[in-house]
Amino acid sequence: MDGIIDTITQFAAQEPAIFALIIGIIGAAVLSAVVNVGAMLVIWADRKVMSDFCNRFGPNRVGGRWGILQLGADAIKLFTKEDVIPAGVDKGVYVWAPIIASAGTMLVAAAIPFGALHIGGKNYPLVVANMDISAFYVEAALSIMSIAVFMAGYSSNNKYSILGAFRGIARMIAYEVPMGVCVISVAVMAHSLNLVEIVESQTVWYAFAQPLGFVIFMIALVTDLGRVPFDQSEAEEEIICGYSTEYSGIRWGLLYFQEYNNFLLGSILVSLLFLGGWHGPIIPIPLLDMVSPMIWLLMKVIIVIWFIILIRAALFRLRIDQVTDLGWKWMLPLSILNLGWAVIVGSYFA
Amino acid sequence: MTNASEVLSSIQSAFPAAVSDGKVESDDRLWVTVDSKKIRDVCKYMTDKLGFDHYAGSAGVDWIARNEMEVVEIMASYGIHNVVAMLKVKTPRDNPSVPSLVDMYWNANWYERETWEMFGINFEGHPELYPLLLSDPLVGVWPWRKDFKGYPDLTTGERAVQITTPEGYTEYRFPPTPAEIEAGTVVTERPKYPTFREREEAHIKSDSEMIMHLGPQHAMVPGPFLLDILVEGERVKKAFLDLGYIHKGIEKIMENRSWLQGITYTDRMCYVAALSNNECYCGAVERLLGLEVPLRAQYIRVILEELSRIQSHLIGTGEFLTLIAGVGFAPWQYMIMDREKIISLIESVTGARLTHSFVRFGGVRNDLPEGFDEQCRKVFPYMKSRIEEFIELFAQDPIYHARMENIGSISPETAKRIGCAGRVLRAAGVPYDMRIEDPILVYPELDFKVVTGTRGDSADRIDCTLREMLESIHIIEQCLDKIPSGPIKTEAKIPKKIPAGEAYYRVEDPRGEMGMYVISDGGDKPYRVKVRGPFYATFQTLTPLLEGVYIADAVAIAGSMDGCPSESDR
Repeated sequence: MDGIIDTITQFAAQEPAIFALIIGIIGAAVLSAVVNVGAMLVIWADRKVMSDFCNRFGPNRVGGRWGILQLGADAIKLFTKEDVIPAGVDKGVYVWAPIIASAGTMLVAAAIPFGALHIGGKNYPLVVANMDISAFYVEAALSIMSIAVFMAGYSSNNKYSILGAFRGIARMIAYEVPMGVCVISVAVMAHSLNLVEIVESQTVWYAFAQPLGFVIFMIALVTDLGRVPFDQSEAEEEIICGYSTEYSGIRWGLLYFQEYNNFLLGSILVSLLFLGGWHGPIIPIPLLDMVSPMIWLLMKVIIVIWFIILIRAALFRLRIDQVTDLGWKWMLPLSILNLGWAVIVGSYFA
Repeated sequence: MTNASEVLSSIQSAFPAAVSDGKVESDDRLWVTVDSKKIRDVCKYMTDKLGFDHYAGSAGVDWIARNEMEVVEIMASYGIHNVVAMLKVKTPRDNPSVPSLVDMYWNANWYERETWEMFGINFEGHPELYPLLLSDPLVGVWPWRKDFKGYPDLTTGERAVQITTPEGYTEYRFPPTPAEIEAGTVVTERPKYPTFREREEAHIKSDSEMIMHLGPQHAMVPGPFLLDILVEGERVKKAFLDLGYIHKGIEKIMENRSWLQGITYTDRMCYVAALSNNECYCGAVERLLGLEVPLRAQYIRVILEELSRIQSHLIGTGEFLTLIAGVGFAPWQYMIMDREKIISLIESVTGARLTHSFVRFGGVRNDLPEGFDEQCRKVFPYMKSRIEEFIELFAQDPIYHARMENIGSISPETAKRIGCAGRVLRAAGVPYDMRIEDPILVYPELDFKVVTGTRGDSADRIDCTLREMLESIHIIEQCLDKIPSGPIKTEAKIPKKIPAGEAYYRVEDPRGEMGMYVISDGGDKPYRVKVRGPFYATFQTLTPLLEGVYIADAVAIAGSMDGCPSESDR
């Protein structure tokens, strides 16, 4: 064991560039596996929890009565479907849109800490790219999805698609700004833009320290994810399937999957920024104490996900002009108010 | 209170030369033949002086033996009195033509278009005499004339010829064979009119406008109908509506079936309100026969029709909720679950869930089962609490109010002028309910109130629907208390051949005023059945309501009408 570690240390010292590359590739592989499997579970939860709210069964055939393998079956079906590129689409943009959506999601995932290992009284965060401005970076990278949405809608040569794309862009512009201001408010209180440091600095959850910011961030996040009441860009009853109307098979699958990837990552982000991340009492049992920060984070994330699913079952969809109105006329001024609050409180306790 | 004979004498004294063949059936029905040159004046006189402010539709009748055609204008009133006047306008069979009433009654538009395409009766002065229910290849064969020999069988597709249109679409045409041209079963000369697409595209003014389809294949439509909207960005500038995607020609089919078989067809017009349709047809035939329905049968009919109203309202509201909230919206599923309880009550009596064919001439098919009373009384407290919960749920939801309030509102005056029906009208504040206006069965003995709204917008329509269900439950509870024992069918024997005559019968369908105009020539089949569908009337008002709203509002307005294209197409 020691020998292996020595060899690795020596190699890292001799060839730092190659070592960084190898670590990066391993990290990327682990990361995409974790995120995508997580998103599959989120899709399953979405369908199953939704059906519970609606008093239905939901998926209940593939994989026992909980339908846990339903997604595998769906994925097989999507992969084996004929790949149709409709005549009249802007082919290059059409093909690249799902890929850019996936790339954007992975960029977000790279900077998000998925928890921490508690070893010897110290927390070691599990993050691929622990950069100094990760909070801001994540917020910016989340909006790459909107570009993909616009590419998909614009290239599809379809009236429903283009309307869906326009709605997506209008919504993104209206809500990215208050969302960014909320992230800055958190950073002001934490005196850092690094997500790990933000989490470590939360002796009091920021959801309590700045409740207004938390509410605005949650609303902006649901908007960013494009879920009810902010799912105008794919409002089925108005514009069929919105931007993804012309997509089918695995291309549609990729686009659809990225929404759930973002759903998972967004929920983690909320937990990290406002709900204290992996903070929580360490479980005094050997081995479990090591992963107990991750257990806490996981529980928070599950609660956030459950809450967003509940919203979908309970609320009506807003109209697009009401959405933008709400964003510019209420969310933005309130988020700036919250920033002022954060500055006052943050400098008092600094 | 005006009654029919007063109306008749008033018309006769005002237009002594123009009217003839006046016939008064009862206090509230009258038939009169009016000279076609004077029909507009007579209508104007009736509307201005006699309070006939409700143009309820028109029916074409082909009297082939007398070599003439008839257009029957059905005139009624919004609550001023309850007389229904049928004005017959006669026109020769070769080259039939009558004056149009479109400029006087806005809603005459569709009725006249339908009469034109089915009978070939020209309406002078109609601005847009285009087909409504028929597809283009059928226009010009005048299918509802009595001498219509049938269209060549196109179902096999063997005769189809593939044609590529200038736009690059593939179409199939069915050229007539020489033998058919000789026999005269196909029409070689067709009326000339711009196609639907050309009419739509004439409205496009700039590059920023485009036409979007909301149907016939769209998540919004409750059944197939074509709704095209001309949009600029998110704004709807104009809407275009086309029916006929589920046109079954039920009125024509019923002319070729025995009187009793007709009941089954009325089921299929609107399968969520099948019992009201049954009632309407049977009631009209009972008027022809002069039958008295036993009291117990009347109560059974009322109970079932009100149950049917509740289940229709539940699914109508539920479907509407999915339109403005997405299919994941939980209350929609709860409404379907609650509807199931009502459906099982109806099923326990009629044996069918949707198409009951339960009402018979002079009675009902079978009696209430054992324990029906207890079953109802067990379900109703639950239903009441549920409906009150729904009302409260929507009343407190800010997003619901933001989406629904002042969306698609109609003022009472406009609603009357454009001839809306049912809860669209009542939401605008007009207490117009057939159960009060034209009471049938035991409704006069029951205590209930007509639910009205104030603003006439989408929120009011849904609110009216929900509160109407409470009223329906109240009605059924009274019926269960009062229902006597006795026979459920009339003692009289129902003849195979119904005596010659005509009757107009109105019921309150879940979607509004439904009327059936039945003519018998003394044969074993109806000579003509005209269905004045409630949604057909309301549907017509959709296009003007959609002008200037957002796309999302268009969906909310169309959904709040609680549509049933199956019934409007028939």
